[in-house]
Amino acid sequence: MKSSVKLTPTRWDALVAAVILLLALVCGGGYWVHTLSAGDVLTAVVSVDGRATDRVSLNALSGTETRSYSNNGYTVSVAFSAGAVRVVESDCPNQDCVHTGAVSGAGRSIVCLPARISIQLTGSAVSGGPDVIIG
Amino acid sequence: MKLTTKQLTLCAVLTALALALSYVENFLPLFLVIPLPGIKLGLANIVTVFALYALGPTQALLILIARCSLGAVFAGNLNALLFSLLGGLSAMVTMIFLSRWSRLSIYGVSMGGAAAHNCGQVAAALISLGNTAPLAYLPVLLTVSLFTGALTGYLSSLLFRALGHTNLMKQ
Amino acid sequence: MKRVFFCLAILALTVSLSGCGAGSNPTSGGGDQNATAEIFAMDTVMKLTACGEGGEEAVIAATSAIQKLDRALDRTDPNSEVSAINAEAGTAVAVSNQVLSLVRAALEYGSATGGAFDITVAPVMDAWGFTSEEKQVPSQETLHQLLPLVDSGLLSAGGGTVTLAEGQAMDLGGIAKGYASDCAEEALRQAGVADGVIWLGGNVYVQGSSPDGDPWQIGIQDPLGDDSFALLQLTDAYAITSGGYQRYFEQDGKTYHHIIDPATGYPADSGLISVTVVADANGPDRSPDGYCLPGSGTMCDAFSTALFVMGEALAIDFWRNGGYAFDMVLVTDDGRVLVTGGLAGNFQGNEALDYTYEVIR
Repeated sequence: MKSSVKLTPTRWDALVAAVILLLALVCGGGYWVHTLSAGDVLTAVVSVDGRATDRVSLNALSGTETRSYSNNGYTVSVAFSAGAVRVVESDCPNQDCVHTGAVSGAGRSIVCLPARISIQLTGSAVSGGPDVIIG
Repeated sequence: MKLTTKQLTLCAVLTALALALSYVENFLPLFLVIPLPGIKLGLANIVTVFALYALGPTQALLILIARCSLGAVFAGNLNALLFSLLGGLSAMVTMIFLSRWSRLSIYGVSMGGAAAHNCGQVAAALISLGNTAPLAYLPVLLTVSLFTGALTGYLSSLLFRALGHTNLMKQ
Repeated sequence: MKRVFFCLAILALTVSLSGCGAGSNPTSGGGDQNATAEIFAMDTVMKLTACGEGGEEAVIAATSAIQKLDRALDRTDPNSEVSAINAEAGTAVAVSNQVLSLVRAALEYGSATGGAFDITVAPVMDAWGFTSEEKQVPSQETLHQLLPLVDSGLLSAGGGTVTLAEGQAMDLGGIAKGYASDCAEEALRQAGVADGVIWLGGNVYVQGSSPDGDPWQIGIQDPLGDDSFALLQLTDAYAITSGGYQRYFEQDGKTYHHIIDPATGYPADSGLISVTVVADANGPDRSPDGYCLPGSGTMCDAFSTALFVMGEALAIDFWRNGGYAFDMVLVTDDGRVLVTGGLAGNFQGNEALDYTYEVIR
C-alpha cells in the first residue's frame, strides 16, 4: 500500500493554506462577537494583562461554571456561580488567588499576579453596595 | 491483518522515532509564544505523514496509537493521552482524505494535518476543562499550524528524497 | 512556489509572535463620562477612574507618573534608584529629589512610630523569601545576624544623596503605593478633575462624590470572610488597609504573614488582624521642580503598617498623642472593631457579622 506523493508545493497547497487562514479569522471574529455581551447585573470581568477578555453574568447562572485562564506560563481555574466567584486552582507559586476564597460583592476582585489575570465583580446585586472595597 | 517482519520492524522503528521527536520538541518552548497547556510543534507528525504515504493508512494508524499510548505512559499523564490522541487522530483522518487529492503536495497535506491536529487539541481542552475558554485560542493555533504544517511537510519531503531510492519503500 | 510558501510561513510566524506582548498596557475607556485605566504596577492591580472634564488627561498623567515611580522604586529591578542605593550600601548614592523626599518621609513616619515602620527591614524580608517565590522560615541565627541591620538610624538622607550602612538594604514597598496615590491625586487636581477614585489594590483615594451625588461608599474587607465588615462614606480622603490575611504562607501547620515586626524579625503578632488608616487629602502639593510631594496617602500607608505592628494600646495612644491628624479602624483578634471618633459619623458596621463595634475618643 504505497501512494505516490508530490514533494514540491503546488498552488493547491496555497488553497488549503487560505482555507485554514479563513477558518482562523472566522473563529476569531466569532469569539470577539461573543465577548461583546454586556449587562448591568452582577458581572465578573476577567482581565488578562489588563485587558478585559471575559465577562460572566453571575445572576444568569443556575449552577457552577468553571473556566480556566492561562497566561504567562500559569493557569488559573475559576468557578463562577450565582452571586460569587472563586479561584479553584492555580499553578502559581504564591496561591494568593486561591487563598482569597470566594468573593461576592460588587467591586471585589481576585488577582493572580504571576499570571497577570484578574477577576473583578462589577455592577450591583443589591443597590446601595460599596463603590470600592479595600483591604 | 498480518504484517511481515519487515513491516513490523519498520513500524517499531517509526514509533520509536515519533516518541523521540515528541520528547525533543519539549525543549522548544512554543509555550512562551502561545501559553496554552500542551501546545507543541507537532514534529511527530512527520512520522505520521511519512507512514501514511510509505506504509498506508492502517499501519500509520497503528503507529499513531502506539506512540500516543506510550507517550502518555512515559509522561505519566492521562490527560496527555486525551490531547495527543484527539490531535493525532484528527490529523490522521484529515491527511488520509487530503492525500487522496493528487493535486496536493506533501505540504498541503501536512498543513491540513497540522490544522486538524490543533482543532483536535482544542476539542480535548474543551472536554477536559468543561467550558468554552479554549476556543479563544483556535484562531492563533490555526494560523500557527500553517507554519508548523509547512515545516513538517518540508522535513517529511527530505525524508522521502533520502529514502526514495532505497529498499525500504519496496514492500 | 517555494518562495510563496516560505513567505507564508514567515507571515504566520510573525502573526503568532506579535501576539505575545506581555505588558501593563493601560486600557483607557470612557463610558458615561468616566475615564478609567487598569494597570499592573508595584506588585498589584490598580484601577484609576476620573469623572467628567479633564478625566482622560488626568488618568493618562496619573498612569505614567505611577509607572515611572514603579521603575524608580522597584527593588527587584536592577535599574531602579532603590537598587542603586542597595547595591552601594556603605557609600553615599545620588538620588532624584523625588526619591529623596520619599525616603525622608519614610524616616519621619518611622521615628514617629518608634520604629514600628522601618524601610531597612529588607534583609529580613529577604530571609523570609517574601520577595522571591520560595518562602521559608529563617533560622534564629540568621535573624540574629540580620536584626542589627534593621535600623533606620543608620541611614542618612540629605544633600541629594542617601547612604545606607554596610550590609543594609531598603525596601520602599510599604510606602510606595501610598505615595503613588498622592501622585495620582496631584494628577487629578492638575487636570481640574472634580470626582474620581484611585484604587490601588486595597488602598484607595476618593475625590469629590460618586456619580449619584453622594460621598463615595468604601467597603472594608472582612479579614475572616468574603463580605465587607464596614462601610465608610468619604470624600477627598485616603483609606489604606493592612492585614496579615492579605499575603501569607503556611509551613508545618503554622501561618506566617508578610508584615514583619522590625524589632523581632517575625511576622507581627500584636493582636490586630486588620488596620485601616483614614486621612483627609491635604491638597495639591507639588515641589518646585515639578514632582508630587508625599502627603496623606504616604502617611496612611506608613501608619497602617506601623499600627498593625504596634498593637491596640500603642496605636490608640499614638492616635491620641502622636501629633498627626488621621482616623483608624482596628480589628482585633478577639472580634472587636474599634473606630476612632472622627470617623464614627461616616462609619457603618455590618450588623450581619459577629463583630462588636466600639468608638474610641
